[in-house]
Amino acid sequence: MKKINPNINRDKKAIEIRGLQKAFDDFEVLKGVDLDLYQGENLVVLGRSGTGKSVLIKIISGLLKADSGIVNVLGKDVCCLTSKEMDALRLKIGFSFQNSALYDSMTVKENLEFPLVRHAKHMTQKERDDLIDVILDAVGLAQTIDQMPSELSGGQRKRIGIARTLILRPEIMLYDEPTAGLDPITCIDINNLINEVQRRFNTSSIIITHDLTCARAVGDRLVMLLDGQFQRDGTFEEVFNSEDKRVKAFYNYNFTD
Amino acid sequence: MGTAENKRSVLVGIFVLLAITILLVGIFTLGGQQKRFSSSITLTAVFDDVGGLKPGNNVWFSGVKIGTVKNISLFGSSQVLVTLNVEESVQEYIRENAVARISSESFIGNKNIVIEGGTQEASPVEDGARIMAENPLDTDALIEKLQENNNNLVAITGNLKQLTGNLVKGQGTIGRLLTDSTMADDLGAMVANLQRTSQNSVAASRSLNQFTSKLNTPGGLANQVLTDTTVYSQLRQSMAQLQEATNSAAALTENLRETSTRLNNENNALGVLLQDEEFARNLQNTMQNLETSSQKFDENMEALQSNILFRGFFRRRDKEEAKQQEQQQEQQNQ
Amino acid sequence: MNQSNNNNLNEPQKRKYVLSRRLDRAFLELYNIYAFVARFFKEVFLPPYEFKEIIKQCYEVGVRSLPLVSVTAFIIGIVFTNQSRPSLADFGATALLPALISVAIIRAIGPLVTAIITSGRVGSSIGAEIGSMRVTEQIDAMEVSATNPFKFLVVSRVLATTFMIPALTMYTTLLALLGGYLNVHQNEQTTLITFFSQVFEAITFLDIVASSVKSVLFGFTIGMVGCYKGYNSSKGTEGVGKAANTSVVTAMFLIFVEELLVMQVINAVRGI
Repeated sequence: MKKINPNINRDKKAIEIRGLQKAFDDFEVLKGVDLDLYQGENLVVLGRSGTGKSVLIKIISGLLKADSGIVNVLGKDVCCLTSKEMDALRLKIGFSFQNSALYDSMTVKENLEFPLVRHAKHMTQKERDDLIDVILDAVGLAQTIDQMPSELSGGQRKRIGIARTLILRPEIMLYDEPTAGLDPITCIDINNLINEVQRRFNTSSIIITHDLTCARAVGDRLVMLLDGQFQRDGTFEEVFNSEDKRVKAFYNYNFTD
Repeated sequence: MGTAENKRSVLVGIFVLLAITILLVGIFTLGGQQKRFSSSITLTAVFDDVGGLKPGNNVWFSGVKIGTVKNISLFGSSQVLVTLNVEESVQEYIRENAVARISSESFIGNKNIVIEGGTQEASPVEDGARIMAENPLDTDALIEKLQENNNNLVAITGNLKQLTGNLVKGQGTIGRLLTDSTMADDLGAMVANLQRTSQNSVAASRSLNQFTSKLNTPGGLANQVLTDTTVYSQLRQSMAQLQEATNSAAALTENLRETSTRLNNENNALGVLLQDEEFARNLQNTMQNLETSSQKFDENMEALQSNILFRGFFRRRDKEEAKQQEQQQEQQNQ
Repeated sequence: MNQSNNNNLNEPQKRKYVLSRRLDRAFLELYNIYAFVARFFKEVFLPPYEFKEIIKQCYEVGVRSLPLVSVTAFIIGIVFTNQSRPSLADFGATALLPALISVAIIRAIGPLVTAIITSGRVGSSIGAEIGSMRVTEQIDAMEVSATNPFKFLVVSRVLATTFMIPALTMYTTLLALLGGYLNVHQNEQTTLITFFSQVFEAITFLDIVASSVKSVLFGFTIGMVGCYKGYNSSKGTEGVGKAANTSVVTAMFLIFVEELLVMQVINAVRGI
């Protein structure tokens, strides 16, 4: 059980979403979602597969466009940014993908270098190398520097993926199913990493998951996405002590399965 | 990693360089063969019919490929202007009086242009010059001509048969006729005169034609002439003489024809004709007269020309004729 | 869109489509292709330029394809020459073989064979690679790291195929001619110089220009089709396979269509 991060600044919202709607063809995924992410907070979004959790963070990072509603990230409305402004904003957002999304054709080092070469042009090669070493140390995978992603285990890939997003020092971290497909021990490692990132880099994070262990371990606050809207908002205990049948079902499913 | 990248770049560089080399070698080889890249001059020729010649076809000179057809365009009423690209190095060998001819590269192959002829006396062609064109014989026309020739040949052999037959009969006199050099000379002079006369007639009738058309122009010089009785009478006289000359010529021709017909057709008449010395004398006289008459006709024409009133008219006509001749010459030169 | 969705709740599906579901899909696809190609032409001129990636792709497309393409071209030269001989021998015209080979290889076989082989080798790998990058969210990852994935992936690959396939065509043509020469030399004892002088006798500049234009077009097509299919591949491993497969099939089909069109245009030009 996680101790709530004392550095949360309740006066400053990193992300503010109001009335967000998104549909794919006939299927409405998000039906008017409201969400606030405070600075320094780890917010866990829980929900079953296909409920639009990933859609939510993809809209935040500008990968998908909202049908309607306001999505304000770090004071900027993502719907109406030019591609340049969007890129500038994206540099402040780290996105850890469900499958890590490491570039298959590149070594670990090249993967980490990829954003650096493009967005930290003032750095010398030496500085880049040093930074890569530091970040790899932080995720505990310094030895994999010259390996290809295909040679890494799932957990290692996940950590390299997180390292790659961290290398540009983002203010917001978005984790899409960080523990999916990993064994319980590795899950704990990842959870610890998420918390450490929060502590060390003072990031505000949204963690998408359906894994309650993970949710309990990393979340300062939980929201639950049901039927395209957030139904419950609060700490882990607050959410799961409710009498809502759908919440109960989720809880029971997770722990009986 | 850096070295791997370098190696890759170098290999790509080598790869591209080689590919470009292949392309360039290809282009230059082709250029060498098509003689495109050497400096060239342009020649033109006007054909009646190019028989499917296309731009890019070869130009040969004494069996050497010296260039290609650059352009083909219609010219004048129904002629075709062919522009040739010819190597500059062969310019000195092609003379101004060279003739371009359309030929075939092989039995079913491409058409090409063959430049031939040209004499050492003529100067070399210049860039952009027009050389003479010999028009290709159309196969149909060729066969038609052959047919005609055949017919003629048949007629000639027929005539020859008859003639030789006659010869056998009236050998002595014919011999005389043939050996009489005076008569032969007279005959030659007569024919020459006749030719001149008819040329003059043509010229005269053309002048008359122009003149009469001018007559119709009121207020013109010619119109005024009509009111001048002196000139008019002179003119009439000239016309009468002209008429006379023409009549004589016609009569003579008729006579000649008759004579020759008789010569061929009537054995008896031939005998008479050939034995009659008087007739021969008459013939000689006639020819002499004819000669005189055509001379006179010439004199008349000259008199007509020297007439003050007509001088301007004839001068203009001469000028025009001269000009036309010049143009014709120019065309031929090109 | 949102509004139409709301309407849709109350009414049957009719009003959603302009024509019909299928036709709408087809036209949307057509528009997407247009937009994709248009985006390429926009992005290709805008900085930043991914030179390193372009070189890398050139290496992949050009240098790495060279052995396969070379061997194939050489074999085709030999086989084509050998198979053409009997029909010419019937006329006693085997002396015309070099000219025949020249025209066939330079005008058609060279560019075509190169394009077909590379569309199999390169086109499918582009389709599969970009497809799998799409499926495993690598393209999204690139985008959220503020790198233009279109420029990095599509522009570099399309440029690589557009430049490298003409280059490969030069090799193919040369090697196919050499293969033809080998066969002609064995059977007719023609010397290399005679052979090549006949080869060049038979072609014109127009042929070389047309072949170059064609191979540029083929290269562009292979790159574009592979990238488009990969970039828009559906989720899942099945999508990757489909992207690889359809990019080869579509590219080959388009290559033949282009061949036909270019032939018509060139014949029209030749006729003038």
